[in-house]
Amino acid sequence: MKSGFEKGIAAGVLAGAMSLSGVALAAECIAPANPGGGWDFTCRTIGKIMYDIGVVDKPIQVTNMAGGGGGLAFSHVVNDRNEDGDVIVAASSATATRLAQNAYAGHTADQVRFLGAIGADPGIIAVAADSPHASLVELLDAVKADPSSVTFAGGSAAGGFDHLKVLMALGRTGFTDITRVKYIGVDGGADAITQTIGGHTQAMTGDMSEVVGFLKSGDIRVVAVFTDERVPGFEDIPTAKEQGIDIVSVNWRGLYVPKGVSDADYRKWSDGLARVATSPEWAEAMVANGLAPFTLVGDEFQGWLDGVIGEIEMLSRDIGVIQ
Amino acid sequence: MKTDRIFGLCVIGVALAYIASAAQIQVGFLSDPVGSRTFPYLVGGVALACALVIVLRPDEEPGWPPLATFGRIAIALVVLYGFAVALRPLGFLIPAAVASAAISYLISPRPVAAVLCGIGISSLLFAIFKFALGLSLAPFGRLFAG
Amino acid sequence: MDLWANLAQGFAVALTFSTLMLAVGGCFIGTVIGSLPGLGPSNGVAILIPLAFSLGLDATEALVLMTSVYYGAMYGGRISSILLNIPGDEPALMTTLDGYPMARKGRAGDALVLSGVASFVGALLATIGLMLLAPILARIAFLFGPAEYFALYLLAFCTLGGLASKNQAKAALAAAIGLGLAMIGLDNQTGIPRLTFGEIHLMDGIDFLVAIVGLFAVAEIFIYMESHGRNSAIGVKLERITVPVRDIANSTFTMLRSTAIGFVAGLLPGAGASLGSFLAYMAEKSVARDGATFGTGNPRGVAAPEAGNNAAAGGALVPMLTLGVPGSGTTAVLLALLLTLNITPGPLLFSERPEVVWGLIAALLIANFVLLVMNVPMVKLFVRILSVPPWILLPGIAMVSFGGIYSLSGSAFDLILMIIFGIFGYLFRKIGVPTVPIILGILLGNNMEDSLRRAMVISDGDWTYLFSSGISIGLWVAAIAGFVAPLFLRNLLTRPGRIHG
Repeated sequence: MKSGFEKGIAAGVLAGAMSLSGVALAAECIAPANPGGGWDFTCRTIGKIMYDIGVVDKPIQVTNMAGGGGGLAFSHVVNDRNEDGDVIVAASSATATRLAQNAYAGHTADQVRFLGAIGADPGIIAVAADSPHASLVELLDAVKADPSSVTFAGGSAAGGFDHLKVLMALGRTGFTDITRVKYIGVDGGADAITQTIGGHTQAMTGDMSEVVGFLKSGDIRVVAVFTDERVPGFEDIPTAKEQGIDIVSVNWRGLYVPKGVSDADYRKWSDGLARVATSPEWAEAMVANGLAPFTLVGDEFQGWLDGVIGEIEMLSRDIGVIQ
Repeated sequence: MKTDRIFGLCVIGVALAYIASAAQIQVGFLSDPVGSRTFPYLVGGVALACALVIVLRPDEEPGWPPLATFGRIAIALVVLYGFAVALRPLGFLIPAAVASAAISYLISPRPVAAVLCGIGISSLLFAIFKFALGLSLAPFGRLFAG
Repeated sequence: MDLWANLAQGFAVALTFSTLMLAVGGCFIGTVIGSLPGLGPSNGVAILIPLAFSLGLDATEALVLMTSVYYGAMYGGRISSILLNIPGDEPALMTTLDGYPMARKGRAGDALVLSGVASFVGALLATIGLMLLAPILARIAFLFGPAEYFALYLLAFCTLGGLASKNQAKAALAAAIGLGLAMIGLDNQTGIPRLTFGEIHLMDGIDFLVAIVGLFAVAEIFIYMESHGRNSAIGVKLERITVPVRDIANSTFTMLRSTAIGFVAGLLPGAGASLGSFLAYMAEKSVARDGATFGTGNPRGVAAPEAGNNAAAGGALVPMLTLGVPGSGTTAVLLALLLTLNITPGPLLFSERPEVVWGLIAALLIANFVLLVMNVPMVKLFVRILSVPPWILLPGIAMVSFGGIYSLSGSAFDLILMIIFGIFGYLFRKIGVPTVPIILGILLGNNMEDSLRRAMVISDGDWTYLFSSGISIGLWVAAIAGFVAPLFLRNLLTRPGRIHG
């Protein structure tokens, strides 16, 4: 049982603290989760940089609105704030996944306007240091030969992004029997690593930022990173593409705005986001948080996202998460 | 005796309804030997078994209060419900003052003391939540925001 | 020795005038937050994160403030448990069982002092354990896979029977109710919502804080209205407050045993402080010669859960710091804080950022002593709560609970759910269905189910996997023993207790 309050408390707190500091009528960034997570980071960091580089003339107020895996914030924006040009909302791959799986109580991706993504946590597959599987190909071959011989652990629930990454990679190799792939969803990436180091599961699927400490300590090996090119700072980790598996899967960090905002407002925010993406402050923040550059803004992003959502929807149907 | 029998029967009804809803849970296609219905079935089953024991071997009567007391509890319930619903539109201060005054009056029927108590609790707590702990509570809510 | 050098470094970092003031302030705020129903340690820490930023604190100062609040809230949770029978937060749940009966007998002061000392012992020893052994202990988490966790939760539920002395069927029913409520929400293993009836507020499941506040605080108001204060601790004539030397002396081994149990529970990311205090209480009940008087105001029933939950709070820092795995809601918030301070917990934290780790440990030690010094004299102040006239106190409790929960979630849905829990809390109390197992069911139900299902996924449905390691077999034996033969368990655990008695 997870406490919504642990998440919700912060919401109240932050909003309260902000209102105390006398910031009135400033733009608002809604982080649909508790402080400390990816969405919170997005709002705080991007919001701060937008103010620092002059995209907005007042500090952006961060509101945490946890619930329904982002669904509460989504429906709040759609229902109550549809024409509010002063609100931006943090989003990531999880937002896209849940929208594709109809997990936001009937809301769909076209009910808001996505601004873009400016950074991403690269998807990875890791195994314990003493694992017999030397590469992603070997690991996937083992799954194909006998799906019951490998259990993947990940930080998201079954059907979540960490799970789908594995299925997509397997799909690229021509494997279709994806419902037999064993996956357990545990409480976060670090927990998934613990289970894998402990030998309870054979591989861990997650994001680069989750494994950095364990990688340095030598407890695990990352067999593949799901980016176009090797990630700066981790040049010895091969990409899946190099190994002949054509998959790019990253946990992007981005924003959306309400559907009903004026085009001027939309441009203001998307141009601002693009400026953040090129700022040295953002470059620094990305390094500190294990993000790789990944900039797609405006229509370009919308087009890419539609493709991603389509693929997730199909996969989710195949594994029965949606009917 | 009677209470436990009625209670047990109610639990049986709820447990059956629970099991019936559990049967409606969508099942995925993933490899999942236990499945998403097993635990709810088990829990419903245990509840059912316990309820049967309670029906067959009831405890002594708990000693219910007179009807008037239930009336007061019911009023308190309505007050709390009203408070819960009024918080968003009216903010914290007024509903809290009204609700605490009402509960205070239900416990000790002295109108002046109750009203003072309501105002006191409402403003003190608002100060604690808002200024000491920095939580977000709207003092007056939307209706007064203009 | 290395350790002393490290510790000296830690104190050098943590022991300045300003950090000491932060520790005192943090401990005080934490105690207040912990004692308010509906606000627990995790909330306390979360509340102050923005404050830490707006004050412009550096990493060490922020950590000192947060750990003081964390430990302060762990101490504070017991206050409303003992005085009002309302757990200030979920780890203080078990403290209601004997703390409140003590208060009803006029011994609220004794119970508060004793639990304060027990909290101190638990937290202090756990901090020392963290200091000496953290890198080694972290490995314990690797040994616990789904099968072992399942056996651990099973142990908790199997010993539940010993909790309710009167009607076992009602205790079991209570656990089933809790488990049944826990099933509501997104199913972790399929990603499909269960029993939510399309209600988005139920997607994340039912919040245990809503359940606790409803079942205890709201129900308490109805109970009081019915009984006109008979059987309530409010307005009871208080005994003079002294330090209950005899109770403390009698509870020495209780505290030590409970600390050990709580600490180990804390080390396991899936277990946490609530399970720690529960198991500590149940073990003590089965060990104690006067175990039958547990639940009627036995001082050792107060010392055990408080030592247990504070030790678990310390133990939970081990996986958080060394693996980055938060074992509880509070450590999750602390983890978030560390990340925002650009400190990434993990296997290398101890070697790469020793100043942070040892500064934190020094901060924990400081917070502990501050809390002991602050809490024992403050008992006189706390017990005054019972002298507040009920027509002020009860509406106050109601408004604290509602206001607290609403300001966190901003949803009227939770408040209405809380009222419903309040009605059932009242009915259950009348009928004799214990409420503690309901909360335990809600707290542990998902973990228990998830670990079983994960185990079965890993083993392809092979049940023997559940008994495939020494640890899980041991836990199964203990669970079965706890279920069928409390006497057997008593003999097993009683040895260190023979000295006193």
